[in-house]
This record gives sequence, structure tokens and C-alpha cells, in this order.
Amino acid sequence: MAFLEIDGLKKRFGNVEILKGIDVELEKGGFLVLVGPSGCGKSTLLNTIAGLETITEGQIRVDGRAINDLHPSKRDIAMVFQSYALYPNMTVAGNIAFGMEMRGVPAAERQAAIDKVAKILQIGHLLNRKPSQLSGGQRQRVAMGRALVRDPKLFLFDEPLSNLDAKLRVDMRIEIKRLHATTGTTIVYVTHDQIEAMTLATKIAVMRDGEVQQFGTPAEVYNNPTNVFVADFMGSPAMNLIPAKIGANGSGLSVVLDREARQPITLSLPGAPTGLAAFKDKPVIFGVRPEALTDPEGAERNGSEIATADCHIEVVEPAGSDTFAVTNLGGKGVVARLRADARIQPGTSTPLAFNLSKAVFFDPATEKRIL
Amino acid sequence: MSAVTSPARQASSGVSARTINRIVIYGLLALFALFYLMPLFVMLVTSFKTMDEIQNGNMLALPQSPTIAPWFKAWGETCVGLTCAGIKGYFWNSIKMVVPAVLISTLLGALNGYVLTKWRFRGHTLVFAMMLFACFIPFQSVLLPMATILGSIGRFGASLQNATGFNFGLGNSTVNLVFVHVVYGLGFTTLFFRNYYEAFPTELVKAAQVDGASFFQIFRRIMLPNSMPIFVVTVIYQFTNIWNDFLFASAYAGTGDVMPMTVALNNVVNTSTGVVEYNVNMAAAMIAALPTLIVYVVAGRYFVRGLMAGAVKG
Repeated sequence: MAFLEIDGLKKRFGNVEILKGIDVELEKGGFLVLVGPSGCGKSTLLNTIAGLETITEGQIRVDGRAINDLHPSKRDIAMVFQSYALYPNMTVAGNIAFGMEMRGVPAAERQAAIDKVAKILQIGHLLNRKPSQLSGGQRQRVAMGRALVRDPKLFLFDEPLSNLDAKLRVDMRIEIKRLHATTGTTIVYVTHDQIEAMTLATKIAVMRDGEVQQFGTPAEVYNNPTNVFVADFMGSPAMNLIPAKIGANGSGLSVVLDREARQPITLSLPGAPTGLAAFKDKPVIFGVRPEALTDPEGAERNGSEIATADCHIEVVEPAGSDTFAVTNLGGKGVVARLRADARIQPGTSTPLAFNLSKAVFFDPATEKRIL
Repeated sequence: MSAVTSPARQASSGVSARTINRIVIYGLLALFALFYLMPLFVMLVTSFKTMDEIQNGNMLALPQSPTIAPWFKAWGETCVGLTCAGIKGYFWNSIKMVVPAVLISTLLGALNGYVLTKWRFRGHTLVFAMMLFACFIPFQSVLLPMATILGSIGRFGASLQNATGFNFGLGNSTVNLVFVHVVYGLGFTTLFFRNYYEAFPTELVKAAQVDGASFFQIFRRIMLPNSMPIFVVTVIYQFTNIWNDFLFASAYAGTGDVMPMTVALNNVVNTSTGVVEYNVNMAAAMIAALPTLIVYVVAGRYFVRGLMAGAVKG
């Protein structure tokens, strides 16, 4: 039995269904990231777990106990808010201890807990300051300290890094990951940043329009997206989704990619998914991540299904660590990720290696994965 | 054109135009200030003059032989109606009425604002609209209905007195005035606090809920300590209104020992004992006006900005 279980959760405001039946579960000590674009319902879902929003249907259980009808303070959860929500009239120590004070914890015990958390987060020197005297990163730490001091069953993070600047965000991301590793807490984390989702999560739930599109480990979500939305949303630069056609190649199948004013590229698919046979001579969406489309020298040497084809390079973007090249396939710009020192010129034709073992196919009508 | 041909002249004419503007603006402001302060000046100098000087001298002249005797007389000896014990009793009447009325109406307004913004219920906009309506009611129109209600409360107090030997303050004129001012002040105090709390970060309330704070704990520990600016505004507004109120005071506590300051002042001026003692009248009027001035000076200092800094992203 999982530690956090959400069963068939629905949330309606009047006639509008915000959450349309969410089923998610998380093991003890896990790190669940709810990720999706704005308005997908991820923050609402987090608020229902916290008890700040009521639910219309379904059940939320923590450690086997249904909590969906309990008051937020009775759920044994702690929450870090997007805006930090520090009480401006209290000192840092007062902020951290407020929850314990409300629960009637004796003063000596409170002080010990404050000191312990201050040590973990290295905010000991800030304890007597007011929130207005802190920088953004310090406020972030205090907000985390307020959650940490309670030692709850479940931590909820609502986009905690979105107000920090880019560099601090990366630092705090590592900090949160380290915190999770050292304290072994169970965390539910909301973000719209897929990099945060990939780096922090043990489980990811990709959401759109109040539905979970895919639920799995970061590797599963990244390598085996269930539909076009997940494939497009996860990963940066995004997966290339190329309109293509399935052709026959002797006994096997092949994928045909149209090109402007050139012969189409035909790549044979020895390891094609079984469902693909039904799409013979029909259009499909051929998905290949930029790192699976590279220069032949940079391709995985032991990759079983490497196919090479000459492509016309339109744009070259050197990014320092990699070089991105844009070519045109199936009427769309397609990004290939090459080694940083790849010698490549825009306006020329260059062989590119397709790693077909990493390629995925989608039905253009339903946008679902063809398996 | 001229900027291209002679930038220097352009600049100098710009400066002189600005100077003229300044002179006009400050001149007008000074004139209005003079108009506004003139009565105060006359009151102040008159209150320090002897009767001889008032009868023979210029109204605007400074006192030749300043005396504070009129102030003592106004405070302790002057006649209000038939009793000649000064206005000090009525001053305390006003204080006893104003302090509870201001505090109760302000706290209830804060509570209303808190509920109307952070604990929204179905129909909260309608409730707020109806509370706002209280701000637009002409108070003359409620005099009679309120007198009826106060009469009923008084009778209820009398029967309590018979039953228990104690009337719980019901029927007492000061309590009546507190009640009336709380009821008619609520519209304004609710409006002030609701608009302030509308911009108050809701995440603080949510965080406190997760921290286990109850409805009133959140109100007392989170909302009120962060409401200083609007609290001061409301207190100044309510204090000034209730202290200066004459209509309700004369209607519900217009005679005897229970009169508030404003009614007593009116009676001081109307009481004729031969000569009209202008200096005593002016001193009494100054005493009546002092508390509101003090509230402005003292409370205004706490009117600090930026109390909310650091609560949320910043």
C-alpha cells in the first residue's frame, strides 16, 4: 500500500470540472512532482491535499488514513507557498515556531526545534530578523524551515522556486534535493518547469486540463511518453514531432519523411512497435528527441538501430556545451543535437544519425502513442 | 523652433513660468490656510483675554494681559443649564462614550472585513453591498426608529433590573449612544477594512491554517498585527465623527448629567447669566476640540507605510 494515495479525485466549481478524476500514488519517502502548463489544475490538486480546497468526489489517503474531510491542521502536512507567506509581524524564529505554538508545544521544546532546523538550513544568524529584512533566497529557506520544523508526514511545495532568479533557483533546487535525500521526507511538489520536475522527482504526474496525462518515473515519462502532449512538454529543447508516413520495406516497415524539393527520407524500422503495422501507408507523428538525432560520430556506437540520412542544414546554433542544428523534415523545423565541436555549416547537406531505438510514434488522430 | 534658435532664452522663460506657477499655487494655499485658521486664531486669543479686553479691544489683537482663568472657569465652574460645575463632567461623559464606541466599531469592522475577504460565503457581495448602504443613510431619518428601539431596550433593562437587581447597562444613556454609534459606524469601518484586506495576501491565511491556527487566532495573530495603517485611519475617522456628533447626542442624551461634550458646549453658550462670557465659551470650545487634535497628532505618527513589506515575494 502506498503512503499517499489519491483515488478518483474530482473537483467541480459549479458546472466547471477543474479536476476530472485524478489517480496518483506515492511511496513513503518519495518525491512526486505535479507538472503541467498554467491552469492545468496542479495547484488546485495540491490545495486539495492540503485541505485548503474541498473535493467533490474521491478520496485522499495518507498512510492508510482518509484525510479528505479533515481540517488542514489535522492532516499532519506542511506547505511551502509560492510567495513564501511569511508572517510579516513575526521574527524568523516566530515564523518557524508559529505552528508549534498553535499546537501548544512547550517553549523549551520549540526553541530546540528552531535551533535544529536553523542548523540544517543555515539560517541561525537570521532568527531575530523580520521577513522584510531578508533576501529572496533567505525567505525561501525560512519558508522551508517553517515546514521542516513540524516533522509532518507529508510536505507540499507550491512552485517554491518560481520567484527566485535563475542562478538562485538552480542552487535552491539542489538544496531541496539534498534536503530530501538527507531527511527522507515524502514530498509533493508543484511546478510548471519540466527541468525541476525531471531533476527532483522520483515520480512525475504530467497534467493537462484537470487530467493526469502520464504518471511514472522521470525516465518513463521522458523516454516513453504516452501522448503528443507529454512528449512535447517534457524535455528541452522539445522532442521533434515530425509528420510522417509508414511504408512497407520488404517484410518490415519503414518511416517516410517528406522534404521540401528533395527526395523523401526513408528509414527502415527493424524494431517497429507491433501496433505500427496497422498504420501502413497512413500518416503518423514520428517523435525523435534532439539528442537521438545527431552527427554520426556522436551517435551511440552500440546503438542497435542507427540510420543515417543526408539532411539540409538551415540554421546552426552553437550553445557552448552542444551545437544545435535545424533542418526541415515533413514541413517542420527539426532540431538535431550535435557535439560542441561538430564541423557543420548552414546551407549545406550533412549526414545525420537517427537513433530509431529511441524514436516514438503517435497516432495523429488521437495523439496517443502507437505501441 | 525657439529651442533650436535660442535654447538659453527658452530655458530662462521656462524657469520664470515655473516660478510664477509656484507663487500662484503657494499664494492660494496660504490664503485658504488663512481662512481656515482664522477662526481658530480668534478662538485661541479670545480664550486668553479678560472680559474687559474683549469688550473694548480688537477681536484679532493678541491678549494684553494673558490669563488662563477662562479655561479653569470653563472646566470647573461655568454653568451648563442650571448646574454650574463646569464642563469636566460632560468631557468624561464623551470619553466614556467615544472610547468603547470607537474600539467596538473598529474591531467589528475588522472582523467583518476579514470574513468578507478571507472566509467568503455565498452572497458575500450582497452582504457587503448592504453594509455599504449604511454609509449613505441620512442619520436624521433613523432618529425616530432608533428612539423606539432604544426605548424597548430600556424597558427590557428595567425588567432585568426588577428580576435580577441589575440592568446590565441597558437603558443607560451612554450605553445607548455607544450602541447607536457602533451600529452606524459599522458601514464605514467594514468598508475600510474590507478594502484593506482585499489586498492582503490570502496565502498568509492559508499558511496559518496549515499551521493549525483557528479562525480567531488567525484574526488576532496574523490579520490585526498587520492592519496598523488601516486601524489608525479607522480610529481617527471614527473618533472624530463620534466625538463631534451632535445629532444623536442631543436626541438620545440631550438633558441632565448624561450629556456628551458637544451638547454641553451648546448649552454653555446658550446659558445666559447676564453677560456673555466669550472667553469662557471659547475656552470650552477649545477643550471640546482638543481630543480630536490629540488623536490626529498621536495616531498619525503610527501611520507608517510598508508594514506589509516582506510578507510575500518582494
